[in-house]
Order: sequence, then C-alpha cells, then structure tokens
Amino acid sequence: MKIRLLYLCFFTLACLAFSGETGFELEYPDYFPAPVYDFGKNPLSPEKVRLGRVLFYDPVLSRDGTISCASCHSPYNGFAHTDHDLSHGIDDQIGTRNAPALFNLAWQKSFMWDGAINHLDMQALAPISHPAEMGEAIAHVVSKLQKTERYPGLFYVAFADSVVTGEYILKALAQFQLTLVSANSKYDEVKRGNTTFSEQEENGYRLFLQNCNSCHREPLFSSFDFANNGLPLDTTLNDLGKWQITHQREDSLRFKIPSLRNLTYTYPYMHDGRFRRLSQVINHYTSGIQISETLAGELKKPISLTNDEKTDLIAFLLTLNDTRFVFDPNHQFPKEILLPSEGFQN
Amino acid sequence: MKFYLLLLPMILSVSLYGQAEKGNVQFELVFGGQPVEIGKNYYLPSARDSIRLETIRFYISHIQFFDDDRLMGSLKKSHILLDTENPESLHFSMPEGVSGNFNRIRFLLGTDSLANVSGAMGGDLDPIQGMYWAWQSGYINIKIEGVSSVCPARNHLFQFHIGGYQPPFASSQIVDLPVSASQQIVIRADLEAFFSQVNLSETYQIMSPGGQAVKYAKLFGSVFSVTQ
Repeated sequence: MKIRLLYLCFFTLACLAFSGETGFELEYPDYFPAPVYDFGKNPLSPEKVRLGRVLFYDPVLSRDGTISCASCHSPYNGFAHTDHDLSHGIDDQIGTRNAPALFNLAWQKSFMWDGAINHLDMQALAPISHPAEMGEAIAHVVSKLQKTERYPGLFYVAFADSVVTGEYILKALAQFQLTLVSANSKYDEVKRGNTTFSEQEENGYRLFLQNCNSCHREPLFSSFDFANNGLPLDTTLNDLGKWQITHQREDSLRFKIPSLRNLTYTYPYMHDGRFRRLSQVINHYTSGIQISETLAGELKKPISLTNDEKTDLIAFLLTLNDTRFVFDPNHQFPKEILLPSEGFQN
Repeated sequence: MKFYLLLLPMILSVSLYGQAEKGNVQFELVFGGQPVEIGKNYYLPSARDSIRLETIRFYISHIQFFDDDRLMGSLKKSHILLDTENPESLHFSMPEGVSGNFNRIRFLLGTDSLANVSGAMGGDLDPIQGMYWAWQSGYINIKIEGVSSVCPARNHLFQFHIGGYQPPFASSQIVDLPVSASQQIVIRADLEAFFSQVNLSETYQIMSPGGQAVKYAKLFGSVFSVTQ
C-alpha cells in the first residue's frame, strides 16, 4: 500500500512537472505578422515537437510502411517534392497535384491547393487517409503505434499519457510543422539591416512590389488567399481548385497562393507542377494569362516587363532562398530515434 | 491516463451520489415498433422491401433542459457520439439542478461549427471515431449505412455520411421536444419514419456537404420524439 502511495505521489509530481514547464513560444522576426494558429489549444513543447518530427519521418503512418510525410515533403527541398510535378504515393500511384512546400504554416488559415483543410491539426489526416497517398486509417495508425516499443514512451513524455490517440498524433505532427519557420533568407538579412541588396536585386524588389506583392505579400510572400492566376485548364486533370470544395461559381479555378520563399528548392511550380523554371512562370504572367470569369483582378491588366526586368525580378526572388532553413539539422530525419541500431545516441 | 487514477475515488463518489439524485436520459432507436439491432432485417412496407442496418452513429451536442423559455440546465459535455452498437453511449445523466422542473429538451443533432474549425480534439470528437472527413475538414454528423435490395450500389449498400458546417450547407439541426418532467426520459428515433421518406433506389450515397446532406439531416432530425 505504501509503495502504491509513493507510486501515486510520483505520478502526481511527474504530471505537475509536465504541466507547462517545458513549453516554449514560436520564434519569428518582429516584421512578421502575428501567427493565426491558436497555440493556446496546443502549446508548443520540445517533447511534442520531437514526437511530431519522429512521426513525420516514420513510414508507419502508411498502410504498408512505405511512405512517410517526408516522402513528398523532403527537408532538403523546402519540404516540397523537387522535380516531381504531381505527388507520388503508395503502390507507385501518382496524385493530381504538386506537393506543396511546408514552412511558415503558423501563418496559414487553410491548407491544400483548394483550401479543403481548415486547420493545421487536421491536415495530416488527408494524406494518411488518401488511397493514392498513404492509404491508411488514423484509427489503425493509433493501434499500430500503441503496439510498438518506441511510441508509448514518446507519447508519455510528450502528453503525460502513454495511450496513443488520434488527437495526440495530429497535435504532435502540427507542432513539428509549426516549428518549420523560414526567416533567414538574404531578404530577411536585408530587412534586419545586416546586409544590402545588389543593384540588380534592388531593382527586382521594386518590380516585385509593383507587380507581385498584392498576392505574394511580403514578408511571408503570400496572402494565403485563393486566386485564379490565369493558367489554362489542363484537360488531363480538369482541376477546378477551390470550386471542388465550395461548389460556388466564383471559386472556379481559384487555387491557394503559394509563398515565394525557397523557390530554388521547390520547383516545379503551380498546383500541377507545370512549370519547371522561374522564367516560365514570369513569362506566364507577362504573356500567358488566360482570361476567364474568375481571373484575379490584379491580372486583368497585363504585366509588362522587359527581358532585363525579368532577369532583375528573378535575381530578387532568389534572395528569398533560405539555406539555413533548408539545411537546418533540427528539421531533418531523427536518426537517433528512428535508427537507434546504427549507434546514434539521443 | 494514469493521472486519472488519482481522481478515481472522487469520480466514483460523485457518480454514485449522482445516480441517486439525477435523472437519466435514454436514446432508443426503433424501426417501427422494434428496437434497432445492427445486422437485423427490417421490413419497410412503403418500399415493399427489407432493410438491413449496418451503422447508425450520430453526434448530439448542447443538450439543454427548458421550462418554457427558461433554461434550467445544460449537459456539461458539449458533444456526445451515439452509436447503436455501443449501448453505453445511448444514455446520460441529467445535469445538476435539473429535476422535475422542465417541459422541453433541446439539442443540436450534429456538431457545432466551432468543433469543426478548432483543430484536433479527443474523446468522442477524436477523428479515430471515424466521424471526421479526411479529404475536407469537418465532422460527419450522422452516419447511416446498410443494405437494401432496391439499392443499385455495389453490394446494394447505401451510405449516408451527413455533415457540413458552412452556410449555405450547414447540416446540424436543432431538435426541440416537448416533454413532461420525469426522472427517466426516453428519446426515441424511429428509423422507419426516416426510411419511409427516402427512396433508396434513387439516393443511396451522400458523402459530402451540400443540399442533399442538409435535406437528409432535416429528415433525420424530424424522427425524434419523447416517449414516457
């Protein structure tokens, strides 16, 4: 009995110790707006972020253990899938859209190219359940993780509860993704007064502010709103974007506006990955716009740029590459946990 | 989870005390006069067909007890998932201070819009309950599945996954039932009344928010009554 009491006391203390002492706040520059993610409902802790990181890289989330989140969201590609126009999934299937880059997610109020997902917590459910992505069911993921040696302990350390639940999985995955903050590009260094743009970059910045900034708004380089940017419909996909979710006429061909950070690492571009080079993207905006009922107002008047101006604009866009983010070891495969047999220490 | 062991004596004493004092609300699913059993066949006279029910699960939320227009009490737990296969889920105790002083019970059939936009939640609202759409955020408020020979789908399976929280296709329904106060309230949902207004040879799959979902949510909301 005494031992049991001691045991209970220990648990009480342990639980008190877990109640918020280890929490931390997301770091971001003072020129960023306030995040939209509600951290009050899912306060960050290093243990939850670590669990989320392990889950992100573990193919156990897929039906046959072949596909992890990182399969299509690779850290070295700004968490996009470089060189693949459409996403790849289980059983060598190919999806219908380009895997988007993952960073600065705490500032985004909806997810997917069509905005189907309304909260970062719920985002992971879509690829886990999709028959052409991971082909699994969240309830089955819970029972698989519960049976492992690795996970009940990681959940206990993170949530003071060794019982795996869907809520914990989703919250942990969200926490890891929330820490993917890209704010260390040359642009950011210029913003902070630590360096200056070259003359060419400066001119590109001016052109950017004139022609691009209303949708790709700095400093996140997106308003994260939805727009029809005048791409001709690819009739092999017939993707009408946000219309497929809302069935409202005004949403036809509207897609989520992506951030322009880390473009070197995240090609190909657009929701269907149709453009491999930035020059193709710029040429689309100057001479490829297809007029339609829902075309963004900003694009109704053609953008006109000389060849030199196009080069300058691209020079500026390349200052948005954030090498420190892309190669940040804190975001990479957690080999000390997922490959302990190779002798990596925690 | 082990933390709750500490609270166990407290919870036990509260609930034992509660059982003596509090009234009970029971949900009863019937087909015609018979209690619904999963896997059993029911004859539907209007379609001259028999129906086998495989799944009947739905959320109710914001359960409130009124005396005319005066709110006498509401259930603390905001959302409850009722599942025909889990008899424990079909009843609950009346809230504190509600006893013999009410003449209406009101609840939302389905989840409230806040639950649909607030991220990951646990318990009855955990997505592992199979009542959350993965491809588009939002709860499935009502899931009714079964087999009918008139249904042209594969294996004659009909599937109504009814949800949607955004106007104009918000699907949760207020159900407001007159009742004479009692310690034991039985709220009955008559599936025969639902299926007699449904043509399974025409509509047998609803799996996304929209006008059909709203129509079927209204229909299901209309088959609740109180028996005493």
